[in-house]
Amino acid sequence: MSMELSTIIQMVLVVFLIASAIGVSITRNLFLAVIVFMGYSSIMAIIWVFLESPDLAITEAAVGAGVDSVLFFLTLKKVHALKGTREG
Amino acid sequence: MREIIAAVFIIAGMLVFVVALLGIYRLKYVMNRIHAAALGDTMGLGLVTIGLMILGKDVFHIAKYILIILFFWMSSPIASHMIGKVEMLTNKDYDERVHGK
Amino acid sequence: MNEKKTFWQHLQAWVNGEEAMLHADEYIKKRELPRERNWIRKPDFQRIKANKGLYWFLCVLVSVVFITIMLTVVANLPTFGQPINPANNEVVERYLEKGIEETGAINFVAGMILDYRAFDTFGESNVLFLAVISVLILLKRDKKNIDAREDRETEEDERFDKSDHKSILKIGAKYLSPVIILYGIYVVLNGHLSPGGGFSGGSIIGAGLILYAAANGHEKMHRFFTFKTFTLISVGCLLTYCGCKSYSFFTGANHVGYEIPKGIPGNILSAGFILPLNICVGLIVACTMYGFYALFTKGDM
Repeated sequence: MSMELSTIIQMVLVVFLIASAIGVSITRNLFLAVIVFMGYSSIMAIIWVFLESPDLAITEAAVGAGVDSVLFFLTLKKVHALKGTREG
Repeated sequence: MREIIAAVFIIAGMLVFVVALLGIYRLKYVMNRIHAAALGDTMGLGLVTIGLMILGKDVFHIAKYILIILFFWMSSPIASHMIGKVEMLTNKDYDERVHGK
Repeated sequence: MNEKKTFWQHLQAWVNGEEAMLHADEYIKKRELPRERNWIRKPDFQRIKANKGLYWFLCVLVSVVFITIMLTVVANLPTFGQPINPANNEVVERYLEKGIEETGAINFVAGMILDYRAFDTFGESNVLFLAVISVLILLKRDKKNIDAREDRETEEDERFDKSDHKSILKIGAKYLSPVIILYGIYVVLNGHLSPGGGFSGGSIIGAGLILYAAANGHEKMHRFFTFKTFTLISVGCLLTYCGCKSYSFFTGANHVGYEIPKGIPGNILSAGFILPLNICVGLIVACTMYGFYALFTKGDM
């Protein structure tokens, strides 16, 4: 039972990935769901680095964790689903 | 010898991150949580990057790490500041919650 | 006489312009709905939803069936990384052996997506362009198509933005956004030498533009980025891309007779068409990202 360190790290990352994917789908609070989705994207970016495709890692980190969540927050603001912004 | 010093720095940074994570779970209010999160972002990341700098091979490695530290130390306080400001503007019970009754 | 006409005759007369359908609303209110025929029993979704137990049971059933299908497919896939897999055929060998020689790109991923498979990437850029066009159709502010409540909300937002000084964010954006955009340009221009390329660099440039716009407001952004700039850049880049690759396709995919100079692999000016194509894709992606942000916040660019 001898595993390399990187294998163990990858397994831990995949477990976190699945946990955050389930978390996104069962969260009732939309704000929390977007934040967990940001975490999902960051973990996915690290996994891309482990799979030796840094191109995808850069794109995933910039789009998934950065631009996507900004767009999600703007949509939530537009449909008045955020607490404390406007009637709701 | 170099590896040992680097490892000490990296482990110290990781400990700071653990403390920050514990703080985020343990504390209840947004303002307190910002304090914990900003601690991890500035001090933990600084220590880890210093450890990696000691392991670095040439000058350009170290220069890139310095750029990373600069970027984080500029961007993360601004982000924390914006979160605090939004909390102050949108929470109706802000005065009661922060200054007490 | 008039009352004995059937509905179809009325409709025909209305289409021909002989008869105006006055009081159409009242007619629709008075009209009797056709009774549902019993022999086509539509499933009543409302009743199923009201019955909680049945609803949950059906949900779980559908999910389990789908998961079973997916897992069966996964179990039948060939093992990852095996040499006898269908993915490891002569195409991969050719790419690995002659790739750098034929495309001139050191980062071979860029050589693959922008030289051998440039048509795919052209489709992806078009998809991005179509996405921003659909968002434009849905969210662009039209003066005729807006009600008083929305108008009041935008006015409130603008007043709120102006009363908020955001001095710390402004100073941060002043120092950070040029660096972010510079890094994006570096990633785009080095697409054929190091990891990165049009999509990643373009999204980084877009993030920098979003930071600048969030800190300084849309008026300052309008000094150098208006709707006209967006249209010109997107359409120009797509047309350039199309022209470059059409040249390759029409000359037999190998630039017969009129070879583009490949240059020395490793130089910044090398790899034939890959560098201009990377720049095109990067500009399209950056414009799209910023366009999404501007349309979602203000409804205008």
